[in-house]
Amino acid sequence: MGRHDDQGRFMMNRLRTRGLTVCVLVVVGLFCLGPVLWQAVTSVKPDQDLVRLPPLFPERVTSVHYDRVLLKSSLPRSLANSMIVATSATVTAIVVGAFCAFALARLPITGKSVILGVALVTSMFPPIAVISPLYLLMRELGLRDTLVAVGLTHAVYSLPLAVWLLTSFFQQLPKELYQAARIDGCTPLQALLTVIFPLARPGLAVAALLVFIFSWNEFMFALTLTASDATRTAPVAVALFPGLYEIPWGDLAAASLVVTLPVAGLALGFQRHIIAGLTAGSVKG
Amino acid sequence: MIRLSERAWGYVFAGPAFVLVSLIALAPIAAALWLSLRQQLPIFGIDEFVGLGNYLQLWGDDRFWAACRTTLYFTTLSVSAELLLGFGFALLLNHLSDGAGKGLRWAHVMIILPWAIPTVVSAQIWAWLYQPDYGLLNYLLVVAGLTEGAIDWLADPDWAIHAAVVMDVWKTTPFAALLLLAGLKTVPQELYAAARVDGAGAWEQFRRITLPMLMPVVVIVLVFRTMDAVRVFDAVFVLTGGGPGNSTETLSIYAYKTLFQTLQFGYGSALATAMFVLAALLSMLYLALLRRHVQGSA
Amino acid sequence: MMAGLFFILLALTATGCFQAGEVTDHGTIILVFKHGKLSGDERVLPNLLREFERRHPGVVVREELLPASSDQQHQYYAMNLDGGRAPFDLLGIDTIWAQEFAKAGWIAPLDGLLAPAEQEEFFRGPIEAATFNGRLYAVPWYVDAGVLYYRRDLLDRHGLEPPRTWLELVRAAKVVLEAEPTSALTGFVWQGKQYEGLMCVTLEVLRSNGTDLWSGDRDRAEQGLRFLRETIATHRITPLSTSMADEESTRWIFGEGHALFMRNWPYAWSLLQQEGSPVRGKVGVVSLPAFSGFSSAPVLGGWMLAIPNSSTHQEVVGELIRFLTSPDSQRKVAVELGYNPVRRALYADESLLEVRPLLKDLQPILLEARPRPITPYYLLISQAVQPEVSAVVVGRKSPREALDTIKRRVDQIVGEQRVTAVMER
Repeated sequence: MGRHDDQGRFMMNRLRTRGLTVCVLVVVGLFCLGPVLWQAVTSVKPDQDLVRLPPLFPERVTSVHYDRVLLKSSLPRSLANSMIVATSATVTAIVVGAFCAFALARLPITGKSVILGVALVTSMFPPIAVISPLYLLMRELGLRDTLVAVGLTHAVYSLPLAVWLLTSFFQQLPKELYQAARIDGCTPLQALLTVIFPLARPGLAVAALLVFIFSWNEFMFALTLTASDATRTAPVAVALFPGLYEIPWGDLAAASLVVTLPVAGLALGFQRHIIAGLTAGSVKG
Repeated sequence: MIRLSERAWGYVFAGPAFVLVSLIALAPIAAALWLSLRQQLPIFGIDEFVGLGNYLQLWGDDRFWAACRTTLYFTTLSVSAELLLGFGFALLLNHLSDGAGKGLRWAHVMIILPWAIPTVVSAQIWAWLYQPDYGLLNYLLVVAGLTEGAIDWLADPDWAIHAAVVMDVWKTTPFAALLLLAGLKTVPQELYAAARVDGAGAWEQFRRITLPMLMPVVVIVLVFRTMDAVRVFDAVFVLTGGGPGNSTETLSIYAYKTLFQTLQFGYGSALATAMFVLAALLSMLYLALLRRHVQGSA
Repeated sequence: MMAGLFFILLALTATGCFQAGEVTDHGTIILVFKHGKLSGDERVLPNLLREFERRHPGVVVREELLPASSDQQHQYYAMNLDGGRAPFDLLGIDTIWAQEFAKAGWIAPLDGLLAPAEQEEFFRGPIEAATFNGRLYAVPWYVDAGVLYYRRDLLDRHGLEPPRTWLELVRAAKVVLEAEPTSALTGFVWQGKQYEGLMCVTLEVLRSNGTDLWSGDRDRAEQGLRFLRETIATHRITPLSTSMADEESTRWIFGEGHALFMRNWPYAWSLLQQEGSPVRGKVGVVSLPAFSGFSSAPVLGGWMLAIPNSSTHQEVVGELIRFLTSPDSQRKVAVELGYNPVRRALYADESLLEVRPLLKDLQPILLEARPRPITPYYLLISQAVQPEVSAVVVGRKSPREALDTIKRRVDQIVGEQRVTAVMER
């Protein structure tokens, strides 16, 4: 009988925590998604209804903003540019960053604090002050108005975060894993590729996601380094929607949703990676 | 194959990062530092070395100190809120994934979404929400009966900076949450099991296990969020332009106006360098805390 | 691996690279035209440029767009023009930059392009704003001026005339606000955010009181600033949100029928008159009011065309400027994009007035419109003034305090100017 009671209480507790969790999730969801949903509502409102409140939801729904954004602007081209830039920046930053981070975490090199310090310095310096010299540098290198300039810049400016993050992840992996691989006859490169990196997947995935999002959203460098439709990234293209005075709110809302969508999709995909990396179980090892 | 020592491998691994950062990041920074030692005013036809002249001018510049205060206020408020909320979100997600619910995947995306929206856009989303007459925020507050009339979020000098903080918190909490979640995932479950056997409650477990294990990640979050908050630019600039009456002018807005509006290249670079020093001081503070923590627990 | 990736990228993008003023193997001259995005139909300007190319075989004009935001354009130009190797041959500049760019030696003098007699055909204000040390440095492209929008229907209903003085405006607003039952209605909206728009409003109010921000009669300047604050605090005809308003937020309020008067640029007209607009057919435009005894003082806006000193094709680019500012091109842009032409004769052009009847009302306003202070240091001064006036508008500073600070700052800036004038000798 006592056992029965216990089980009942357990179930009640479970239900209560479940209900609580749902409540918390709803609040969190409203906080995170509210502004975005509002943007979605705005994007389907006809121009005349944009500044009318109430009604909360439009009586008429229009696709005119999406037509303009997807069919009559250079945004699709810019999305493709952004994809190239963000992907190459992510690959570069993660590959370069992971090796560097491992050296910092586990290999006996001198001047570790110098390297970490340099990494910090670069991410502490305000971009508005480096933008001018950086632009001149890229111009000298003949990279003005190329995707390479933007991708490389994004990779380098997100390297510090990647290195710091990955260093701390590698430090949390047991030392013995690497040593065992070395004793088994692996070179450090092999040990990294076959043992360490697979185990550090959650860290790598998170770092990659952060770099990608940084690059996808970055505006100031991209604005300065690109000049034509052929190279413009999505945030810069979005900044091109407003006129001198007039701001086409509906178009802007539609454009921002379109620009956000790929990253949301990516987060969805990557999330599986993070989980996969974790449930592999070896991290706990 | 050539046999390299462990140390040599280390340099090979760290080399590419070092080269890239030196060329693309350090060189422009060095140029900016050099510029901060010069007086460069194209419209006055002046371009000369003035040593620390710009920094001396900073010392006596009221607008600089006001911007410093605004920046620090903004940073303190937004970073602490982001850390707390981020911790909350991370624990929530972690809790959910232990239950292995299907909704988890969407929960992740939901939390990451604000971070994924380009700042150029999110600042405008919020400007739209804050509109006193047809913005959603006032409408909801009035409908819910919480306020009588419209609140001028951005027009009131006392509200404006907080409106900017809320936007920044909304935008960047996902960053903190994501990192902390990844950190939570690396805490060995055995530790909790052992603690439970010892009869430790949820709070005890959090204080004795979660927090210490997560300290390095917390410091990373603090350092990177602080550096971003100190340099905050487009978010506030789009929202308020620094107004009303300079009440939201952060250091980077002041530096931006100095560099690109009034074309005082030298002085603007000195302002930027001052921001850098501020960010550096704060990060050193965090690192010192981390070191004390590490020593304390050792 | 990384290098390989970037080579692929390089190959992908290499085809997209041009240098300004580049001459290709075939002897084609490529001109890069850098300007802020124009609103309206995106094909209008490219069509004009293709027309120019047809008339000038061997010349290709490549447009490079910048965001319309004037801050971002100024930043881009400053970075590129300083150092003397700008990657473009023609640029669109804000009226208030002409002096600065000329003084910095960034743009080339153009008096060869426009004989004094031809300059007469333009509005005087923009030509003055583009003239530095007696030489013309930019050619006006299109013009703007601050105007007062009013609700014709509401004024008619209460037997009121459009106001000619600020006092009349306040009175009319109070009469209408008291009589109209809708609580959503407000009296007068203007641009009060801390940005260049506030500078324009301030100059308009002060100059319409026969004074100016730092020169001219102090008491009347104080009266002007106080007026701005009082519209919010005392007369209560202006919502507090105006202290954060830019052109668009005021246009929305007015466009929804929630304001009786609005200070704005002419761009708002066609948006207010478009199908579905609640105020369509109920709006009028007049000169901004003045204080009694003084005349209206709208501020001049608009954009100009200039050539960077470094361009190696000054002559062809000059031709392009002449083409873009020719009566034909100006008419086309006015008809299709609604930009106000810089040539006065077009305001008497029947065929144009038929499509753009507003131009008739605008002509007298544009004639009296005055540029913002014509000095290379304008942006320095504006940045020093904006926070002070903004503080007055929200009630954080008294007009007297603000004017003291402004005077001190401007004296500092002008003082430095004297120092350099000495050094230059």
